[in-house]
Amino acid sequence: MLQLVVGQLLNGIIIGTLYGIVALGVTLTFGITGIVNFALGAFMAIGAYVGWYLTDGLGITYPLAVPLAVAVTALIGLLADQSLFRFTRNNLINGLIVSIGLISVVQSVILMIWTTTPKNMHYVLPGVLNLDWFIVPKMKGVVFLVLLAVILSTYAALTRTWAGRAAYAFAQAPEAAMLMGVRTRLLQTGVVVYSTALAGLGGALYASLYSLEVSMGSSYILKGVEAAILAGIGSVMGSLVGGIVLGVTEAIGSLFLPQAYRDAYGLVFLVLILLLRPAGLFGGGR
Amino acid sequence: MPKDHARLIAGPAARALALAAAIAVGGAGSALAQDTVKVGMIEAQTGALNTYGWMSSQGARMAVDEINKAGGFEVGGKKYKIQLINPDTQGNPQQALIELKKMLEQEQVKFVFGPFLTNVYKGVEPYATGFNGKFLLMGGATAIHFDLGKPNHDYLMRTWNWDAGDAGFGSLMVQNLKSRGAKKVAMLMQNDAFGHVARDIYAPLFKDAGIAFEEEWFEPGTTDFSSVLAKIAANKPDYLFPGYTDAVLYDIVRQATEVGLTRFWLVRGSLGPGLKNKEALDDYVIYIPKYFEEAEKSEPKVQKFVAAYKAFYKTDFPYDQAPLCSSSCYDHVYMLTEAMKKAGTVDDVAKVKEALMSFTYPGLWNIRYDKTGEEVFNFDVVDVKKGGKIEVTHIAPK
Amino acid sequence: MRAMRPEWLWLPLFAVPLVLHNEVALTVLVFTFILGILAVSFNLIFGYTGQLSMFHAAAFGISAYATHLSMAHLGVSFWIGMVIAVVLVVAISVVVGTICFRFRLKEFYFAIVTLAFSEMARLVILNWGSFTNGSLGINLTAKPMLWLPGGLVPVQGTRMWYYLALVALILTVFVCARVVHSWMGRSFAAIRLNDELADTLGINVFRYKLISFLVGNAGAAFAGALYAFYLSYVEPGYLSIEQSLAIVAMALLGGREPVAGPILGALVLTALPHVINFSAEVRILVYGLILILTILVLPRGIMGLVTKRRHVL
Repeated sequence: MLQLVVGQLLNGIIIGTLYGIVALGVTLTFGITGIVNFALGAFMAIGAYVGWYLTDGLGITYPLAVPLAVAVTALIGLLADQSLFRFTRNNLINGLIVSIGLISVVQSVILMIWTTTPKNMHYVLPGVLNLDWFIVPKMKGVVFLVLLAVILSTYAALTRTWAGRAAYAFAQAPEAAMLMGVRTRLLQTGVVVYSTALAGLGGALYASLYSLEVSMGSSYILKGVEAAILAGIGSVMGSLVGGIVLGVTEAIGSLFLPQAYRDAYGLVFLVLILLLRPAGLFGGGR
Repeated sequence: MPKDHARLIAGPAARALALAAAIAVGGAGSALAQDTVKVGMIEAQTGALNTYGWMSSQGARMAVDEINKAGGFEVGGKKYKIQLINPDTQGNPQQALIELKKMLEQEQVKFVFGPFLTNVYKGVEPYATGFNGKFLLMGGATAIHFDLGKPNHDYLMRTWNWDAGDAGFGSLMVQNLKSRGAKKVAMLMQNDAFGHVARDIYAPLFKDAGIAFEEEWFEPGTTDFSSVLAKIAANKPDYLFPGYTDAVLYDIVRQATEVGLTRFWLVRGSLGPGLKNKEALDDYVIYIPKYFEEAEKSEPKVQKFVAAYKAFYKTDFPYDQAPLCSSSCYDHVYMLTEAMKKAGTVDDVAKVKEALMSFTYPGLWNIRYDKTGEEVFNFDVVDVKKGGKIEVTHIAPK
Repeated sequence: MRAMRPEWLWLPLFAVPLVLHNEVALTVLVFTFILGILAVSFNLIFGYTGQLSMFHAAAFGISAYATHLSMAHLGVSFWIGMVIAVVLVVAISVVVGTICFRFRLKEFYFAIVTLAFSEMARLVILNWGSFTNGSLGINLTAKPMLWLPGGLVPVQGTRMWYYLALVALILTVFVCARVVHSWMGRSFAAIRLNDELADTLGINVFRYKLISFLVGNAGAAFAGALYAFYLSYVEPGYLSIEQSLAIVAMALLGGREPVAGPILGALVLTALPHVINFSAEVRILVYGLILILTILVLPRGIMGLVTKRRHVL
């Protein structure tokens, strides 16, 4: 039994990084552009489908297909930003509804190109790592390490580089930042594109582990938003922790509690956090 | 202000009238060409579980096109072509109801295939029952099984999805499983109507066969099953009886082999997940109504069908996407025309039904209807073994 | 803006079934009217008080189930069952609303929390199989009864439902119009424009937000009972996120004009798939574009194109 629990704890942490990368995108977008981009789930789907297509359809080697998929997703993100999100800065409701509409648009295009047949990438790195009391599929381990690295680098970039600090400054006090010479429009577009790139990366990596369906992003964006709120929107490391907390709760919960209500536990937790500590577990900045 | 005011009210009222008129006129029903038989199909072509509905459409479309290209079929000395009316219900009962109404009332359709989805069927059943005697509804929904033979349900027939009941293929499959020495089965199903129907059918069958049975459920949209599979593995079942859509099966089978579950028993899905994981599993036993890859080589009709499909849709034949649906619905269209020929009418619904139930149609499948109006046909049980060796058992129910 | 719609302006709609014999069109109209009730009541919360509630579909669905279950277990008539359902929904809304508004949740968090509650309700209904039949849904064979000259008559058939739905819609519109044009309505509008300012002006923000939430959800409950018994089938999908989003789309598309707008939105979204035959993928695309374009291009919805810009107060 202990073995089972420990195993699931570690599994939850790994899955949590996938939630975390989406949560990071959510939190960055909210911090800098004032909206919650629900379409990040759809961008994850784009990254996944493009990644799959490049690898299995065009035969490009997977380690190369991933950055290409991320680039394509980011490009589409740029397009979306310039045509849509540019007009909904700081307008939460409008931004929400537009992003929800964007989800349908993206899904319909994916359907038109690739149809509803579920997609399965060939096994890039099959096999498991058997550590006595814990079995980790090798590819899952790789995905975990990559996502962890990306999230940590983002954090480092935000705290150590000029651009990063400008972003923080802007998030805290937009007018002041503008007066100090921060190119706000560029910053906002940059953040939107970066968060779509993150989602795209999550998707491209997801494709090596799971089968793809058009609606794959919807549960991830919900969990990403939950994780971001849990941790406190605005906290970068918080999104990673929030994601992990969510992942672990689900994994361990599935062992003991009725599977059917699994999603409900996360929701109850979320509501409690919002009521009792609206800034989230780590928030306080905004 | 008063002018605006009036416009404000007249606005929606006028629009309602206009739109109603548009629907009425636009949908007045295509003028019935003297030699056309309209056949309807209500299936979900998008949305959850749409593979079955979509593949059913693919098969039917092909058959209709073939028949029409050959000049139609002949009944009572007259040649008839078929017009297929095939809207998308999106798996939504409201949509389906409106589409069915259009079919029956505007288009005067008398023969409708579908639905496969239980919730769609339940949404249209009350309305359909009001049309008893005026049309035939030939669908795969499991809920149909339980309504066959009820008063005022003569319009109902069940096609291609006949697992329920003592005479269903479900029972035959469980017996086949028992013969492999299984004593304990763990089921991992999607928490929706289809999953619950599956449990309701198979749990009693397992009990009757003396096989211990455990169940676990997952939410639609789940792709990571590692925790629930670890839990199942801890109880060491002989076979895992996993979900029913291919997307989910690929994930479940892969992740199950990663935690040491290597024997699978399925009544839905394709060989794909088994073949993809062939090195990691021991047994992948599946009700795969026809093992197309083998049948293509040994049965000329199947070969013709596969080639025709590729040519018609200009795509590879989707061996792993419910080929049962496309091929059986292809057969159904032909079977219907044969029944009409036999009955000597394209209008008399009761006579056509009687004809349908009176013979075995030798198509890609040997289809016949039992006395309750449910289809029965031959099927294959395929076992993919470790390394990819495939064993096929052919079963022809009496 | 004048308070009530003089009833004579609705008369043309009463005449429709007498001249139009197309069953399909009438069916679409019945659904439109019932969904119109849903959309109009939603607009009270969203368009008028400015709160994006994702709980509307839950109110809709809970009422559908509650109506049937009271009829089945308590043996009451449809109308009593519906009243019980509405009362139940209002009670639940008091709890949800109090939690949300007492904690002064801002718009976005309000949407998330109402979504959370809606999902919890859906999961309960989905999994309480013994009571609700879970994912299989329930076929509703009972019918509402009406006292008409001639005795007790069951409401069945498209024509009867058409009139019932139309009357129900008019009733809802009447009530909403009354609310909107009273001091309550002015408070709602003030809250929408700037709730902190409204607070300083002495408006009890909590109370009015809660009232609009309750009235709106009561309307949704009303619609839920009617819809379920018209379709003769209820399933957990009634409470889905998709249903909530469809309601939002109706309100947005039609425009925030509290009465005509949502009805128009309901009409377009219900009838469009049947007038123009899109392939499935295109339908999804159109739906997404509607949401995007109404926000970016037609912020006041279709009605916004028709009416002159004026102060909605």
